[in-house]
Amino acid sequence: MKAKFTQILKQRYYLLFFFSLLLQQTYAQQQITVKGRVSSTTGEAIPFANVGIKNTSNGAVTDFDGSYSIPAKPTDILVFSSQGYKSTEVSVNNQTSVNVSLTPDALSLNEVVVVGYGSQNKKDLTGAISVVKASEIQKRQITTVADGLQGLVTGVKVRGGGRPGQEANIEIRGLKNLQNTNPLYVIDGLITSANRDFNPNDIETIQVLKDASAAAIYGSRAANGVIIITTKKGKKGPLVVEVSAKSSFTSMPRYSLMGTDEFAKLNNQAYDNAGIPRQNLNMAVNTDWQDEVFENGMIQDYNVSVAGGGENSSFFMSGNYFGNDGTVVGTDFDRISFRVNSSGSKGIFSIGENLAISNSKTDEMSGNPIIDVYRLTPTIPVYDASNPGGYGYGKQGVADTFGTNPLALADFSNATNENFRIRGNVWTELKFTPWLKYRFNLGYETSFDSYNFMRKLGNWTLNQPAEQSFINQNKARSETLLYENTLTFKKAFGKHDLTVLVGQTFQKDSYNQIYGTKRNLIINPSTGQYFDVLDLGDLPEVGGFKNEAALTSYLGRLEYNYDNRYLFNAVIRRDGSSKFSDENKWGNFPSVSAGWRLSNEPFFKVDAIKDLKFRASYGELGSGNIDPYQYQGFVNKNGAIVLGNDQVLYPSGTQVRLANSQLRWEKLKQTNLGIDLGLLNNDLRFTGDYFIARTEDVLFGFPILNTTGNDGGNPISNAATVENKGFELELAYSKKINSFSFNASVNFTKLNNKLVSLGNGQNESIQGNTITRAGNAVGMWYVLQTDGLFQSTAEVQNYKNADGKVIMPNAQPGDIRFKDVNGDGEITNEDKDIVGSPWPEFEMGLNAGAEYKGFDFSMNWIASHGATVYDGFRSVVDRFDDNSNYRTGIHPWTPENPNTDFPRIVKGTTLNSRGDSDRFLENGDFIRLKYIGFGYNIPQSVLAKSGITRARLTLSAQNVITISKYKGLDPEFSNSNIFERGVDNGAFPNLQTYSFGVEFSF
Amino acid sequence: MKKIILITVVFVSLMFTASCDDQLELSNPNALTTDQYWKTESDAQAGVNSIYAMFYKDGLWARWIYFRLDLTSDEGFSNSPWTELADWTRFNYINYNFWEGNVVTWRDTYKAIFRCNQVLANVPNISFQNEENKKQILAQAKFLRALHYYYAAVLWENIPVVLTPSLPNDLPEQKNVTEVWAQIEKDLNEAYADLPSTWASDQTGRPDKGAAKAFLAKVYMQQHKWADAKTALEYLISGPGAKYSLVSNYKDNFTDVNENNSESVFEIQFGDQRKGGTDESQSAAVSSNRAQFFAPRSIGWSDGQARFWLVNAFKQEKDKNNGIDIRLKHTLFYPGLLADFGDKVYGKDWQWGADEAWFRKGARDYYRSNEDYYNQVNYRLIRYADILLRYAEVLNETGNTAGAYQYVDQVRARVNMNTLAAAHPEIGNDHDKFLERLKTERVLELAGESVRWEDLKRWGDLDSQSSVDKISLRDPDFKNFKVGKNQRLPIPQVEVANNPNLKQHPEY
Repeated sequence: MKAKFTQILKQRYYLLFFFSLLLQQTYAQQQITVKGRVSSTTGEAIPFANVGIKNTSNGAVTDFDGSYSIPAKPTDILVFSSQGYKSTEVSVNNQTSVNVSLTPDALSLNEVVVVGYGSQNKKDLTGAISVVKASEIQKRQITTVADGLQGLVTGVKVRGGGRPGQEANIEIRGLKNLQNTNPLYVIDGLITSANRDFNPNDIETIQVLKDASAAAIYGSRAANGVIIITTKKGKKGPLVVEVSAKSSFTSMPRYSLMGTDEFAKLNNQAYDNAGIPRQNLNMAVNTDWQDEVFENGMIQDYNVSVAGGGENSSFFMSGNYFGNDGTVVGTDFDRISFRVNSSGSKGIFSIGENLAISNSKTDEMSGNPIIDVYRLTPTIPVYDASNPGGYGYGKQGVADTFGTNPLALADFSNATNENFRIRGNVWTELKFTPWLKYRFNLGYETSFDSYNFMRKLGNWTLNQPAEQSFINQNKARSETLLYENTLTFKKAFGKHDLTVLVGQTFQKDSYNQIYGTKRNLIINPSTGQYFDVLDLGDLPEVGGFKNEAALTSYLGRLEYNYDNRYLFNAVIRRDGSSKFSDENKWGNFPSVSAGWRLSNEPFFKVDAIKDLKFRASYGELGSGNIDPYQYQGFVNKNGAIVLGNDQVLYPSGTQVRLANSQLRWEKLKQTNLGIDLGLLNNDLRFTGDYFIARTEDVLFGFPILNTTGNDGGNPISNAATVENKGFELELAYSKKINSFSFNASVNFTKLNNKLVSLGNGQNESIQGNTITRAGNAVGMWYVLQTDGLFQSTAEVQNYKNADGKVIMPNAQPGDIRFKDVNGDGEITNEDKDIVGSPWPEFEMGLNAGAEYKGFDFSMNWIASHGATVYDGFRSVVDRFDDNSNYRTGIHPWTPENPNTDFPRIVKGTTLNSRGDSDRFLENGDFIRLKYIGFGYNIPQSVLAKSGITRARLTLSAQNVITISKYKGLDPEFSNSNIFERGVDNGAFPNLQTYSFGVEFSF
Repeated sequence: MKKIILITVVFVSLMFTASCDDQLELSNPNALTTDQYWKTESDAQAGVNSIYAMFYKDGLWARWIYFRLDLTSDEGFSNSPWTELADWTRFNYINYNFWEGNVVTWRDTYKAIFRCNQVLANVPNISFQNEENKKQILAQAKFLRALHYYYAAVLWENIPVVLTPSLPNDLPEQKNVTEVWAQIEKDLNEAYADLPSTWASDQTGRPDKGAAKAFLAKVYMQQHKWADAKTALEYLISGPGAKYSLVSNYKDNFTDVNENNSESVFEIQFGDQRKGGTDESQSAAVSSNRAQFFAPRSIGWSDGQARFWLVNAFKQEKDKNNGIDIRLKHTLFYPGLLADFGDKVYGKDWQWGADEAWFRKGARDYYRSNEDYYNQVNYRLIRYADILLRYAEVLNETGNTAGAYQYVDQVRARVNMNTLAAAHPEIGNDHDKFLERLKTERVLELAGESVRWEDLKRWGDLDSQSSVDKISLRDPDFKNFKVGKNQRLPIPQVEVANNPNLKQHPEY
């Protein structure tokens, strides 16, 4: 290896020498020698960059430090180029020193893309794969990788939230099953999840495999798409130390809620309208619950890395602290993580490892303060000594509400989660010949989880039953063991390029937990705190369980490339899973894809088009993404009964949850058609994809008939067929003009989801206000329709069906008129109808950036259009039948104020407050400035003496501009219930975040 | 060196490759499969016990069924700030899928039936040392299946009848209520044959022959099969099963002090040993939540309370010593409780409305100042006083009004009331007057014991507008009552939508 390397160097210097001679001979008297340094925008030296003189064949190559020296005429134009960077031209203009920084070419055709058990040149891809620059993710203040992908990749929908430690939901190309939309994460070859334990600063590259052919090599787990993350590696050269620190201030969006005076007026009106005595409101109190519960949060993110390498080995080490002090009382997230990546080689043998250790601790939110702040009325004091525990809450006749006091909950009901995780892999490679490589990869991940819940004595809501203090703890350990053997054959025969991969993998996952509870805890007299270990207390309970799953696979891939024009790719994977019964354990999942690079055809002569490629693929993926042991019925022995004159316990045992014994693989069949186009010297690039993804035998536990007596979770069955069709477009432009460069890209995703059939003998599945019915998208809004307000008794009496029956005889002026859809003269459940979709018609991202000298600027916008969402906030504060605080500025119907769409407010009757009507559906469109940031690289001249090679300051903000008509807190919310994805039921909002960061390296 | 590494790597990786396929056979380390179960006598015993555990579920006798039976009737009502919950006790059925009001009770009923069916299908295949034990287990399962179908028939009337262990795709067929009654009768008769006439003292709480006959009587009476009911009741009163007597202290029917006493015919056994929820998790509770939900404001959830007419009903007639009917003291918390009997409300002075009253039976104010989810007081589902009054009703219906008096008098005598003839001489042998009086007698004795709703249905009081109007004078919720509709609950819509063999009641 070493010999070869020096050989290359020698050859280059020889050439240089040769050219120099040539030049000296011809132009000796006009020559000057230009010297300088070629670096990347971040200041790193670029070795082996080519330095040429335009319109000549003269050139030089930079050395390890990026330095070069080239003879040139004073009027020459120097052309700097290096693989992975955009070429840059600089006029000599009599200068003898020209320093150049090259901008990375994200769209470079020679870019290498990791595709699973191997890599391909981006230009040779035949599947739908998106590459995301790690820096785009790292510039944001994020907890998980998923947060960082938002708006950057077509076909990838992300919905996050600002709760400390909250993990964003991510969905690639729509809802393809009904269990879990999270994609498969592959970090350095380890199949895992990039959860909040993972430090996004360690990412070197990230790619998103979207279609079946790309993801097929991962087979049964890839149906939701695959996100491949490669972490940073050391590079040859002297030690590079990088330090970064980022501090962010976060703030909650706020509801506009009433104070006591305004509240009392409307509360009294609601009681008056109902003809019941008013509450004896405590007018002396005026609590702003948002002030009490919300606070400004603070995120700190410190990262140090050391990287280096020699001829045959390299290493990378990093340490990170991430602390998020939440915006809601009693919430907090802390993560400490370390990573060591290293590799080395000797002859045909090479070995490497990636190891990450992290510990994260979350002080979880108790109850839902996002809802409580509006369920509690301003007339309730924060503290009330007459209540057990001393906190204020509802009081019958005074402040009639079951809203819970979030401060009391945070105090008396406190949960923390701690995870210690080790994640890593060791690989060895044997390169028998240049074209045959064997690789063994051993991955291991383990997590030690610790959960601690304490219930202290004290109440948080009206009429709360007495409850003993107790502590509940659990300790769990999860383990994943993965081993993979792959053999890769790669050889070119003339114009034929052939790569064949065969392999075998085995993965075993296990999780076991023990838990315990003790009640009636003792208070330590010297601290005044409860003893919080499972020692003191009584009524002990213990338990535990263990889950195991195993997956064996055989895989093969053929890549064929003829003359860079015709590309072909085929994958077959055979998977066996322990989650299915013997006869259904194994599944075969093939895929094929092909590409045609038209621009490389001899007959293609369009100068403006530098690159044009058509792609097509079809593939089948299996998914077995269910809990283990689902195909078997089990006996629940938890119960007990009381019998006998002494009233003692006797054991019980019975089947509680039903099971389907015939579970089989869920199958995703996906077709993808794509085009890649590069114009204007590839400055302008367009990528378009159309896809049809049809999932059959979707594994899901739809509710079954209650007459089965099933409980403890719906039995999983191969229930439904789901189809997602859509297209994704991305247009990107980048240009460098002298020292000014800029880039902009727009991405657009349109998706149609359809439930083809529900299976399981079911016609439809209704959950809350949504219906999932064959032929429609999953979770359509299924509610009563309002039709304005009755203005007079005459209007009520005249509101009749075809038979002349008065439809709402009990209504009064000011009440809502509901549509009698089935015309039976009554408003019943039968009048519900599909009125809208929670699915956006399209989503967009706009990303732009610019650089000038040391300054840079970038921003990401995201937009969503066409979704109808359910405003859970308004469904509570606008109802008035049950007490809550109200929105400021509302003017309900009164005889004096008839020109309003806000109905008469009445305490205690659901007539106007029905949650199952379209009254609370809203337009969920929004446009949001997800990120805006400025950076400044301190010039080398300033740093020169300090020993610091690079220093950078950043200032950024997230979620600062949102354009939306939505009346709830945040239109960009997430609901983990797939069928109620459009219901904003106190979802934790995204936070406005202002960050300041410093990075330097030496 | 190179060779050694090479060999090691290849060897190690081959080791990993081998025998992966065997690793796919993973059995659940946490639980027995249904195939492994139902093999031994103790499986059968635990299996039948699991049916009793259904009493502790919130859809049934831990919580919500009291809202259907007690609060929907004219004895009680709900003033819960949870409007939908209250609406379901006043015939405002808007969303038929309302979990707490409808679906959970339906679901838990069938959950119990599934357990019965598992026992009935699997236990016959288990060999027992003593065949008698096996018969008794099957008989218990039949009794309990009948019990759950009985209340389901009272609540929804035309329901699917499931008699075999469920499979996920089952679409059971709806039966007319008469067919449901017939199935219940069949189960009870078969249970009666094999149940013991009494259980060992460590098994108290399981049904005996008397309990089976008592339930048979209830089923017959709901169908106005008076002669059959009479026979069934006679088993308990004068027949071989006549082992019952009224306890001298009326209060002993409602506390944990004298449980499973001589008056108890069938009693749900509650305990407070386990502090979990009403689910199926490890510490699943064995308690009643009723008192927590019915306790007055600031003491419990106060979601259910008694109608004030009950207070007046008790005060219509003085006892032999010219005192207030002592049953009032044990039936209700009401404003005059302290003045009349010297009792406070969980140790508190009256702080509720002057026309408010709360249910007291099953409350633990006799030793504590609050309630919780772990009330251990057994629920006397059928007690002998009920049997006696039922027998009087049956005699009256079968033309023997004169013969009925003595049974009412037994009940009255226990609480020091005059004989019925002495107190109400105007009744004589008039069937209608006697029945009218018996309705009051049943309220005074049994108010708040979940019999009122079936009584109203049996007496036809929900069948005509005029009688409903009369009830609505006592309980204004009945102004919402639609004759021909609200005598039964709507079937959960989600069941109708997904089972082609099940139709919603046409009136809903």
